[in-house]
Parts: sequence; C-alpha cells; structure tokens
Amino acid sequence: MSVHRAPDAEEHLPYLEAHFESETRFPWIKVVGYAGSLVLTLVAFWAVSAHWMSPTALLAFILGLAVAQAALQLGVFMHLRESRGPSWQIAGLGLGLFIAVGLVGMSIWIMLFKSGVS
Amino acid sequence: MPAFVPYLLHTLFPPTVLRPTEIGADVLIVATGVIIVTVLTRQKKWGWLWREWLTTVDHKRIAVMYLIAAIAMLFRGGVDALMMRTNLALPSVHFISAEEYNEVFTTHGTIMIFFMAMPLIFALFNAVIPLMIGARDVAFPRLNAVSFWLFAFGALLFNISFVVGGSPNAGWTAYPPLTELAFNPGPGENYYFLALFISGIGTTITGINFLVTILRMRAPGMTLMRMPLFAWTTLCTSALILFAFPPLTVALGTSLLDRLFHASFYTLGHGGMPMMYVNLFWLFGHPEVYIVVLPAFGIFSEVVPTFSRKPLFGYTAMVVSVVAIMVLSYGTWVHHFFTMGAGPSVNVFFGLSTMLIAIPTGVKIFNWIFTMWGGRIRLTVPMLYQLAFIPTFVVGGATGVLLATVPVDYQLHNTYFLVAHFHNTLIGGTVFGLLSGLYYWWPKMFGYKLDERQGKWAFWLFFLGFWVTFGPQYLLGLEGMTRRLWTYPLGLGWHALNLISTIGAYGMGAGFVVLVYNVVWSMQHGERDLTGDPWDGRTLEWSLPSPAPEYNFARIPVVTERDAWWAMKARGETTAVRVRPDEISALELPRNSAMPFFLGLGFFVLGFGLTFRWWWIAGLGLAGILGAMLWAGFDYEDRKHVHAEEIRRIEAALGRLEA
Ligand code: HEM
Ligand SMILES: [Cu+2]
Repeated sequence: MSVHRAPDAEEHLPYLEAHFESETRFPWIKVVGYAGSLVLTLVAFWAVSAHWMSPTALLAFILGLAVAQAALQLGVFMHLRESRGPSWQIAGLGLGLFIAVGLVGMSIWIMLFKSGVS
Repeated sequence: MPAFVPYLLHTLFPPTVLRPTEIGADVLIVATGVIIVTVLTRQKKWGWLWREWLTTVDHKRIAVMYLIAAIAMLFRGGVDALMMRTNLALPSVHFISAEEYNEVFTTHGTIMIFFMAMPLIFALFNAVIPLMIGARDVAFPRLNAVSFWLFAFGALLFNISFVVGGSPNAGWTAYPPLTELAFNPGPGENYYFLALFISGIGTTITGINFLVTILRMRAPGMTLMRMPLFAWTTLCTSALILFAFPPLTVALGTSLLDRLFHASFYTLGHGGMPMMYVNLFWLFGHPEVYIVVLPAFGIFSEVVPTFSRKPLFGYTAMVVSVVAIMVLSYGTWVHHFFTMGAGPSVNVFFGLSTMLIAIPTGVKIFNWIFTMWGGRIRLTVPMLYQLAFIPTFVVGGATGVLLATVPVDYQLHNTYFLVAHFHNTLIGGTVFGLLSGLYYWWPKMFGYKLDERQGKWAFWLFFLGFWVTFGPQYLLGLEGMTRRLWTYPLGLGWHALNLISTIGAYGMGAGFVVLVYNVVWSMQHGERDLTGDPWDGRTLEWSLPSPAPEYNFARIPVVTERDAWWAMKARGETTAVRVRPDEISALELPRNSAMPFFLGLGFFVLGFGLTFRWWWIAGLGLAGILGAMLWAGFDYEDRKHVHAEEIRRIEAALGRLEA
C-alpha cells in the first residue's frame, strides 16, 4: 500500500512499485468464483444430509470438495497469481500447508485411541 | 401490560443476575455511565470523542484505546479473582454460591487471557512497532481500527453476560459436555462462544496486519537481522496468531452449531466426540500461551540493553530461539490432556516436545543475564519487573517441565499445582513483561513519565503479592486440592495455606490500586518528556518526539546497523533527525473512518441476537455488517493529503526544523 508516502517522496522502496492485475472490465472471474464456492459448499451440505454414501466414501468426497474449494479461493480471491518481485506468497502457502497437514495428521494420530476404546 | 414484557424481563434478568454482586455491578455500571455521559456533555466533548478517537485509524490512538480497555478488564478480572480468594480464605466460607463461583472463575480466566492480556499486547504493538521500524503507520490502518472495534464489541458482549441473561460457567476452556445445550441451557455459553468468535476475528486481522507491517514497511536499511528484538517477537507472535486462531474458530463455531442449531459435533448422545473439542481447543490453547509470552520476551530484550547500557548479548541466538519457540509451540498441545488417555506413545512424544521448549527459553534467560553482566544497571521500574521476571519465570518453566513428565502429570493435573504453574508463567512472564513495557514506553505514548517512586510501590506489592498468593498453591496442589473448587471443609489441612494465598491476592489488589493512582497522579505531576528520549534509548522510537506526530516521521530514517538510534548518538549524529524545510514533502495519510465502529456494532447486535436466539435481531446485525462492508468496499476516499507546509509547521513547533 502506498498510502503513507507522497508520490514525490524521495525514498525509494522497490516493493512500492508493485504491479497488480488491474481490473478495467467487469470482474467476471470473481463472480464465477463466488458462485462456484457457494455451489461447492451446498454440494457438501447436500452430500451429508442425503445419506446415500458410505461414511468412508462421504469423507473422501467431502475432502475432495474441500481441496477444490481451497484451490478456488486461493486462485480467485487470494491474489495467488499476482506478485511483487519474488513470489513470497508461494513460500507462505507452503509453510501454511506444512503446518496444516502436520496439525491434522497429529490430531488423527492422537484421536486414534478412540477406536481402541469404543 | 402486554404478555411479552414479563417474558422479556425474565429472559434478560433471570434470578442468576439479581444476586447482590450483580446488583452491585449494576449500580457501579450505571453510576460510571452517568458520570461519563455528564462529563462529556458538560464539556461538549462528544464530537471530539467521535472525531478524534472512535473513528481514528492512527495506530498510536488505537494503542491508547486498547490500553484503556485492558486496564478496565484487569480491574474486572481482578475483582473476580478476589471474590474467589475470599470464598477460599477459610474453610466453609459461603461468600458466594457454588453456581456463582463457577461463573466467576470462568469469567476471570476468559477475561484475563482474551480481554486483558491480548489487548494489552496489542496496545504495545500499536504504540511501538511502527515507530520502532521507521514506518508511518501499520500496513492496513483501517483494518487496524476494525480489529480494535471487533475486540471492543466482543469484550462488551462478554461483559454484559454478568448483568443481562447470565454468565457462562464452564471454565475458560468451555469443554463439552459442560457446554452442551441439554446440560447448560441458559444464554451464558452462547455469550462465551460468540464473544470469543467476534474478538477472534479481530485478533486474526491484527496478526495479519503486523506480519505485513514488519515484513513490508521497515525503514530502508533495516534488514531483518537489524530489527529490534521486540519487532522479531511481534513477527513471531503474529505468525502464531495466524495459525493458532483458526482451530479456535472451528472449535467455537462447531460448539455454536451444536448449541444453536442442534448439530452434534460434541454431543455424545448423538455420536459426537467431545474429545475432539479438547484437541481443537488446545491446538489453539498452547500456541496462545506463547502468543501472550513472546511479546514479554521482546519487551525484556529492549528494556535490559537500555538499562544496562549494553547491546543485547547474543542477538542471533535470541532470534533463533524465538523462532524455535514459535515452531516448537505448535507441537506440544497434548500436554494439556495427557489424562485423556491417548496412550503412551502419544503422551511420551508430546511430553518430550514440551520439555524441548525449555531449551530455547533457557538460552534467552542466559542472554538477558549476560546482557546485564558488567553493564551499568539502572534500577528503574521497567528493570525491576525484568529482575523479578527472571526467577519467577524460571520457576514457572521448571514446574512446567515437571508437569510435562506424564506420570507426574497424572498426579498433578487439575490440582492447584497446575493453577500455580500457569499463573507463574502468565503473571511472572506476561504481566510482568507488559507492565515493564508499559512503564518503559509510557513517556513515548503520552509525553510524560510515570512516577518512579509510586511505580516501585506498585511493583513490590505485585511481586511479593504474587509469591504470597501462588507459592502456597503449589503446596496445596501437592496436598490434593483440586482446581475450580468452590469451598472445602476444615480438617483437610488446607486452611492455613489458603489464608496466606488470599492475603497475597489482596496484596496484588493493593498493587493495582497503587498502579492506577500512579497513572492518575502522573497525568498531572509526572515528569514531562521534552527530549523524546527519557531513558537514553537505543531504538528508533526514541529518536521521535513524545508523543510522536500523526505521521511519525517527517523524513523516514535510513538504518545502517542494529540499535540505530544508539549508533546515531554514538556518532554524534543526533541532529540527523532534524529536517531541513526543503526535505519535507507532502504526505498522504490514512483518513479517519466510522466504518470500523459500525462494523463492530453490527457484530455486537448479531452476537446479542444469536445469544438469545432472537433471529430478527441477529438479522439486523447481519444487515449492519454487510452494510458496513459495502460501505468499506465503495469508499475510495480513504486517504487525506497533508501539505508540506502543515508538516513544516508541526516540526517547527516540535523544535525539529533545521533553520
Ligand atoms: C518451559 C515452559 C513450559 C512448560 C514445560 C509448560 C508445561 C505445561 C504443562 C505440562 C501443562 C499442563 C498441566 C496439566 O494440565 O496438568 C501446562 C499448563 C498450562 N500452562 Fe504451561 N508450560 C510452559 C510454559 C508456559 C507459559 C509460558 C505459559 C503462559 C504464558 C503457560 C501457561 C499455561 C496454562 C495457561 C496452562 C493451563 C491451562 C488450563 O488447564 O486451564 N505455560 N503447562
Ligand atoms: Cu501448553
């Protein structure tokens, strides 16, 4: 954001000269992305309440929807394809994925004992 | 009288909010409200309040608002603590009922963590970080105000539960089945989940804001390894927030679905799994304890060099250990529920990972000591808190390692030993750290110093009061006294230690009173800070006048090494902060906005409506939120232009203009 510096400010910070995808036309991609994310959510809801898949199949199906949802959000709304110089956001995304997968994996490991108990 | 009136009265004011303590609180709230409204009206200050404060996006003012809220919450949480300690002072005291005791400990814990420690931390982040890294504001000033108002309205929602509808009563951890609708039908737990949900959004935004600010807005030349350590700990804290709050949000959201819409994520009767809540809560909860303690580490890393007149010993090791703590703290959460029975391999893994954290923490302790070693130490109030912190936090960490030993934990889990442990770390670490930082940066925030003599009184009351309160609690834990106990009979041998503990608690209460007196007295009589550098500081914020002008830096400094301001002073270049009139150019600053306030208000109305399941009120709140968001989206006038002439005038008035 260049809010804090006048256009004629003397200091020179390279990141301020970032280039973003500017939108001159109607943002169709965003509208389609929004509708798509709603559809993905509703399908997940419907799949759970319709009760016609086995629990394992249901879990796999929902997981697939979740991955699609995440990809869609990142691609359409989270500026994944825009960059200011080096694409730091990819590194950040990798870190986020690493932590998320780690936490989910460990949670599954922790909760495994349930199957032995019940 | 229409039929709904008695229903309404009974819902809003059930018998649980008509006990003597609640009536007392009502009187206090109404009286304070009347005083505030009268003063504001008499002095015609409403417009000023609205324009200068409630709609501000200036990080320095947002800091002050966080600070005021945090001190009010410290008062509320402190009164809760004294109510509990009064009930436990002697065997079989029934000062408050068992039900009320549950509500009080729940409120105490929740308020102290979410509405006292967190805002106090954000107060210091906001007050210091932009100045310290040579920036004119945070990266997203308007979002910063959004964060504040979400916090403030979340806190308000939580606090009114005491006098409207009934308080939550399932502990600050809010485990099911204690929170299950079938067992806990009142609005109390709804308040808890919704208030934390709302303020949690604000906290997440703050985390993002400071991450971006520190990564993107440092002054030219300030590489990461030249950043002051407080900036490093803020960076790591923000990263922890970013990854730790989502699991909390999930835990809160699913619990809300259970309670409001009869889902059954955690209802055993319908195949739910309450243990998953425990897992999710601590997935957040353990990083959270480091979210509140890392800033304290950062503060001490600034205070110790300043008052020892030496650079920080082992800067690189300090950075590495902060980052190590951040990473490790994601992998220890099971130590909060070893007794759930996940099995030896899980417990051993998490026991060991917990003990690992003690290593980087130990590195930091040694580095602070080596910084002081051979330094010229000045025993100011910030430094006293640091000196008290070291032994206190070491004991807290050591008892933590004891608790991380799984067989020991099976004995001590949920006894007073645990209570003593986490207060040792939270008060000895977080609170001492924040108080140290408050005394240290107070002149920068307000332009005058807090009186040292009174400050030392408050310090000794806090420090000694702390040990008198919590020392005995270790012994009580070893003797089998469990936490969250309402009262106990004579003959268990607990009464002497409990009485001592209560006396200590009142000592800390006295410390709070002296602290407030210290602030009020110093407003009038405190030593004015005319130089901007009252402590002979080392980092960039001390190169600015106190308090700093709205735009912070008329000219952004160029940094060539660590402790930039100290280096400038050493080279005799302090005049470099003065500016020549022709160096000043016009600036664009963020413009005030009422949107954040109304967004917060919308969330408050939504939360209130959902708490009582009055859907139309909730709908109203939702409409307000959407309205505020649309407003934000189409408001392109988010900056204001400040002329160079205006800045020249301000700098001249501050005596910083080169002739
Ligand atoms: C070397 C450092 C530390 C170790 C090894 C450690 C270890 C532990 C362990 C094992 C427990 C669980 C005990 C039980 O429930 O039976 C615990 C609880 C707790 N610790 Fe620590 N801890 C450390 C530092 C901290 C810090 C820095 C804080 C906060 C600033 C903190 C705050 C807490 C809290 C709030 C709880 C209990 C919360 C509850 O059950 O309500 N700890 N700690
Ligand atoms: Cu923990």
